[in-house]
Amino acid sequence: MGKYAGKRLLYMIPVLLGVSFLVFTILSLTPGDPGSIILGITAKPEDIAALNAEFGYDQPFLIRFFNYIGDIIFHFDLGTSYQSRQPVIEDIMARFPNTLKLTIFSMSVSSIVGISLGIISAVRQYSTLDHICVVTALIFASIPGFWLGLMLMLIFSLKLRILPSYGAGTLKHFILPTLTVSMTSAAGLLRLTRSAMLETVRQEYIRTAKAKGASEKRIIWKHALRNALLPVITTLGTSFGASLGGAIIAETVFAMPGMGTLITTAIRQKDIPVVMGATLFLATLFSLIILIVDLLYAVIDPRIKAKYQSGGKRRD
Amino acid sequence: MKKIKTTAAAVCIAAMTMSMNILPVSAANDSLVIAIDADLDTLHPSDFSTTVEIDTLNQIYDTLMYMNPDGEHEPEARIAESYEVSEDGTQYTFHLRKDATFHDGTPITAADVKFSLELYQKSPYQGSQVTGLSTVETPDDYTVVCHLENAYSPFLLGVCSVHIASKAYYEASPEEFVSNPIGSGPYKYVGRNKGSNLTLEAYDDYYRGAPSIKEVTYEIIPDSSTKAIALQTGEVNFASIESSSMMQLQANPNIVIAEAPTSGFTYVSMNLEKEPFNDVKVRQAINYAIDRENLVAICFDGEAEVNSNICSKDRFGYSEDQFQYTYDPEKAKELLAEAGIETPYDLGEILVAEKYANIATVVQNDLKAVGLEAEIAVKEFNAYIDDLTSGNYSIAALNMTLEGDTQMLEMAFMTEYIGTANNARYSDEEMNTLFISATAETDAEKRAEIYNQIFQKAQNEAIYAVICNPLTLYAYNKDLSCPEFTLEGFYYIYDFQWQ
Repeated sequence: MGKYAGKRLLYMIPVLLGVSFLVFTILSLTPGDPGSIILGITAKPEDIAALNAEFGYDQPFLIRFFNYIGDIIFHFDLGTSYQSRQPVIEDIMARFPNTLKLTIFSMSVSSIVGISLGIISAVRQYSTLDHICVVTALIFASIPGFWLGLMLMLIFSLKLRILPSYGAGTLKHFILPTLTVSMTSAAGLLRLTRSAMLETVRQEYIRTAKAKGASEKRIIWKHALRNALLPVITTLGTSFGASLGGAIIAETVFAMPGMGTLITTAIRQKDIPVVMGATLFLATLFSLIILIVDLLYAVIDPRIKAKYQSGGKRRD
Repeated sequence: MKKIKTTAAAVCIAAMTMSMNILPVSAANDSLVIAIDADLDTLHPSDFSTTVEIDTLNQIYDTLMYMNPDGEHEPEARIAESYEVSEDGTQYTFHLRKDATFHDGTPITAADVKFSLELYQKSPYQGSQVTGLSTVETPDDYTVVCHLENAYSPFLLGVCSVHIASKAYYEASPEEFVSNPIGSGPYKYVGRNKGSNLTLEAYDDYYRGAPSIKEVTYEIIPDSSTKAIALQTGEVNFASIESSSMMQLQANPNIVIAEAPTSGFTYVSMNLEKEPFNDVKVRQAINYAIDRENLVAICFDGEAEVNSNICSKDRFGYSEDQFQYTYDPEKAKELLAEAGIETPYDLGEILVAEKYANIATVVQNDLKAVGLEAEIAVKEFNAYIDDLTSGNYSIAALNMTLEGDTQMLEMAFMTEYIGTANNARYSDEEMNTLFISATAETDAEKRAEIYNQIFQKAQNEAIYAVICNPLTLYAYNKDLSCPEFTLEGFYYIYDFQWQ
């Protein structure tokens, strides 16, 4: 298993190089140059040229790319922002903790709510409770995030005055954004868990388990859930990785400085070092999370664990 | 089970009441929370480029003098007590007060002023503020003489916006100079959390007296709806707002809304190098075809001043003699017929960026009513600016700000600005000469007369189809007293006060 993980870690190198080349190319192909974006329409052409030269933006595309990669590999330097002229890593580190917190909070809430209600829904299929869950999930899955965020803010900040409407200073600031993000994703998880469970319950080994007289509790927890969880965990892993990219809508609505708004602002300003730095940072994290998810499969599913063992030997 | 529920409910209620006490009902009387749309990229006194940066730096850094940008008022003394201009207009002498100090307590001297002026002179960001400046001399510690290459009247207004920074501090650490500024204004920089907020504190030894508001926090809130809610909850005391939030905020008795005129202009730009816009009659027809009142009501919720003149009404050089185009579709049709245009005529595409698309839609409708058909082409902002400045368009809609001295409007008309802000690609020897002669004229009355000629000419030739000057809107707590906002709406927290 260690060998497998090591191999997967090595695979990350070409992936990250590919990501950086792709993003760098796309950024360079988009119109506009940092100098004229910063100085605006009224600036003198020579001032714009001077600023671009200062950023090294006057160099050809490939040279800029290799300089950039070289700085990362040999100096561990993600570069300096064109806009703020501060190291990119500072911009990332000022925002990543907020995004990480929001991701952990909202993923916890949505998996607890989504998975448990999904199981209940499946076990009590066609009951009133199941109907309520399914309809509520449908509603929340369809509500746009920004609207939900504003409504929560109107109720809890403006009417009740119990929660702050913006910012990220204390844990209390995270309650509304967490609700906004997790409501939607909990709805998705509920539907996924429910259908996965329903499918598993119809499998023959469940019928066998019932036939041999296992209790319903044991059947659900020991047999059905473990099998049904595989697709759920895959989804959880990828959506955890994706939400590290920032919940742009929640971040904007609640004025919470996070990765999502950092990247979107930087793209608009053509702040290439910031976009590149943030993308690489996230791509690395995402790859690591996917690796962890793959390793988690082994914990849940002994068949997969067996494959990792050397020589594919089986202990029967 | 029932017991558990009751306990849970009690805990919830307790938590709610507790948190209610934690949230401030109204701010303490010596602190102020201001919401801004975006984070500051820099705190450099001269190398800044955005509105939030200048609004913040204006509190941290003082200037030589304060001058209302409308050009109608005499400059007020700040770090300079008085000033003289030489007869020929090439030499400006400033006499500094002796009790002004930087936030570290060191006195502000002529060397610092010279250093700051030179900082601007070298700056690609704000270098235009000191256009014309050649050299700076400091005959003694409290006298600064600016030598100009030629007489350049707009110099005074420009030099009055130069932030005075400490030379010694810069020499000690150029990095700290930017990241942890020591200023000369009424507020000291305390610190910032990137992306969230920035804090200032009153400088009690400020030479005009300690400010009334002791602590200022700038909170970054990009979303306008969130900002409006935060104003209503009292979490924010002062903010510039969008016209779309007006209705909601006006309904709240605790909030006051103030309007500030701006010289920025929303306009339709026509490429004069392309047919049919090379014909003055077509341009006049387009000017008559646009229903400006209607556009302002739709796109600005009424919060803009209708004006077909590129020179706004509060600006130096504006006069009633300059022609105003009003909505007259019949006249537009007549002019088009005179120009030999057979309607319906296809104008091609109206080029816009997403944020100007609503303006283009209204204009498209108005043009259609007089028989001019056009499609709307929405481009990504940078691609749009590329096309606009390189002349790769025929008709476009946008908003532009050429603030400062009226002379700044030369960028919209002079030949040398084709490729930057002269989007009409207008080139006329007489216009170039008029703008140059305005800079050399030292007598205010005569200078106003030159601008009068310029804008009469611009209006008669219908070089642009200007629509309106949008207003800057501020919303603030009713207990906060702010002086009336002047042209461009720059504010100084020093003048604010809690009642």
